Amino acid sequence: MRSLKLGIGFVVLGLGVLAAEPLVVIGPWSGAEADPFVAVLEAFQKETGIAVEYRVMRAEDIATVFPAQFAAGLTPGDLVFTAWGWWVKEFAEHMVDVSEEIANIPFTSEPIVVEGRAVGIPYVTWVKPGFWYRKSFFAAHGLTPPTSWEEFLALLEKLETIPGVEKAAASGDGVGWPLSDMTEHFIITFGGLDMHLGLINGTIKWQSPEVRAVFENYLIPFLTHASEPIEWTAALDMWWDGKYGIYFMGNWLTGMVKDPTDLGVFTLPGCKAVVGGTDYMFIPKYSKRAEDARKLLAFLVSKEGVALRVSKGGKLSMRADVGPENYPPAEAALAKAVGALTIAPDMDDTIGGDWQRAFWDQLKLLWVKPAALDDVLRILDELHPAAKG
Amino acid sequence: MWGFFFIGPGLVLILLFVLWPAAQTLALSFLNKDGFAGLRNFANLFGDKAIWDPARFLRREPPWGALLHNLVWVCLHLPITVALGLFLAVLFAKAPNWVSIFRSALFLGIVTPMIVGGVVIRYLFEGHSGIIPQILGALGVGKPWSSGWMAYPETALLGLIVGSTWLWTGFSMVLHSAGLSSIDPELFEAAQIDGASEWAQFKYITVPLLRPVTIVVAVLTLFWELKIFDIVYVATMGGPGRASTVLALEMYFAGFRALDPYKASAIATLITAVSVPLGYWFAARRVRR
Repeated sequence: MRSLKLGIGFVVLGLGVLAAEPLVVIGPWSGAEADPFVAVLEAFQKETGIAVEYRVMRAEDIATVFPAQFAAGLTPGDLVFTAWGWWVKEFAEHMVDVSEEIANIPFTSEPIVVEGRAVGIPYVTWVKPGFWYRKSFFAAHGLTPPTSWEEFLALLEKLETIPGVEKAAASGDGVGWPLSDMTEHFIITFGGLDMHLGLINGTIKWQSPEVRAVFENYLIPFLTHASEPIEWTAALDMWWDGKYGIYFMGNWLTGMVKDPTDLGVFTLPGCKAVVGGTDYMFIPKYSKRAEDARKLLAFLVSKEGVALRVSKGGKLSMRADVGPENYPPAEAALAKAVGALTIAPDMDDTIGGDWQRAFWDQLKLLWVKPAALDDVLRILDELHPAAKG
Repeated sequence: MWGFFFIGPGLVLILLFVLWPAAQTLALSFLNKDGFAGLRNFANLFGDKAIWDPARFLRREPPWGALLHNLVWVCLHLPITVALGLFLAVLFAKAPNWVSIFRSALFLGIVTPMIVGGVVIRYLFEGHSGIIPQILGALGVGKPWSSGWMAYPETALLGLIVGSTWLWTGFSMVLHSAGLSSIDPELFEAAQIDGASEWAQFKYITVPLLRPVTIVVAVLTLFWELKIFDIVYVATMGGPGRASTVLALEMYFAGFRALDPYKASAIATLITAVSVPLGYWFAARRVRR
């Protein structure tokens, strides 16, 4: 009898420990970029009493770790975020259908639906609007945002005459995505949205004369005024401190600087579209807390949840019924600035796979060796999924 | 009979977790999504410039392909780390005790996780904060040497090799130090009485008696170089423009980015095919001696 009681005691204790296990949320944001999201998780925790633990994992790491976990019927997280929609589609069979949780939500970015199952749900959005500058810096040196390509080149040259400025533009690096963002902006501006979409679906070749012309006539002349690739958060600090005059980055930058009200942004003159995208969340079907994960997902996509997240800056709403009135001043100004522009899909996140990595890597080469342009374009054609069949 | 009883559990584990997956990998390397592919995966590898580009190697224009990068790594890193480790072991053996602090500092490289080592290498050669480009810049050396080494195709691979030399020399030094302590001091005393110079003692006593240790260090270093991944992944991701990619990294990209397990398995088999004969050759030399 005594051992039975002891056994029951251990079971109860074990269940207690299990109950205390928090819901694990995995996302790509860290540091200042993660703070606004963690605040939303805390709000959910307060409302439901469900403990949540946030862990950082980049899309690259998710792509490495999860396939083996899925094969073993396991998952390191209960609700997972990745910007790689192609990856979500590839592994959709391992994800929970959350059609019920998202029914009747007016999304501005489409959820990922595979064979009738909604598996990847957009969570707020970001845009890559153009080159950021410090208003105070521009005012101090009598600079204004350019309205033509010639003015843009003149601005770059003028920036480099300012004492302390090493190069006109900072080039962010890491695995390579900041360079691809900048390149896509040049393609959309000088080649048009059709060229951008054609390059994504493979109907336009990278080596075609019109694409080559964008690189040769616009991107490469710009590169003479751009820094070599520097780790993007380090580049952010150096740009803020005045070592560089302008910095191309997505709107999450507003949540990472000391004074967002000092931020100004301009697109390349003539630009009619900017790249925008979202992070997709999914619930692995091996999650032991799938029901709680569903509750969290429902909270995050709810009108209140989205309004709370966008009010903290760095992201825009993915719901048509949560508008700019919820944004802090920097995002409100941004939303106004990009409001008239078409939102284009992120090229490398859409194509994905080995091509994405090659795109980042080849651009790193182009940045320091513009003479390698022909090799770069050839490799991008050779590795494109359309060329592989 | 009892011997099998004792080694049985270990054998079962090796069979399950080493030999079985290795056999599966080997089998996959001869398949593709349509079924049996024969040697096609391997033929494709040698037609893939990311793996093998000897023409660019002859023109000394990186990238040369992952296989050649690995071989360059072996040709530079192996002799440097083995010789430097031996030299430092001899130097520290004769130095006063307080010098051992430097020995510990050198050994730090090998106890540092390689992922962290990769991050350190990246910043060591970074254009703005890296000590190496800063020193070279102060000496008047031009770009790309005075700039971010990892950003330029001419310097990325060399930077990784130089950085990893620091990470690995401690290993060679410690093993050689252990070997040195096992040499009978009377041999050196006798040589000194006979008037042998320091160099003669090193050449005719230290080097021959340390040969077994040196071969072990060389074999282990060789395997480490052929399977190198973590440092490259963190510091350059194999770039720019694949100028510093290596076989293990290409295997990872094939498996986890291109989602092509057949190509990844073929690369894994290629790594084994390169490693085993070289390792066997080294080991056989040791046995013969």
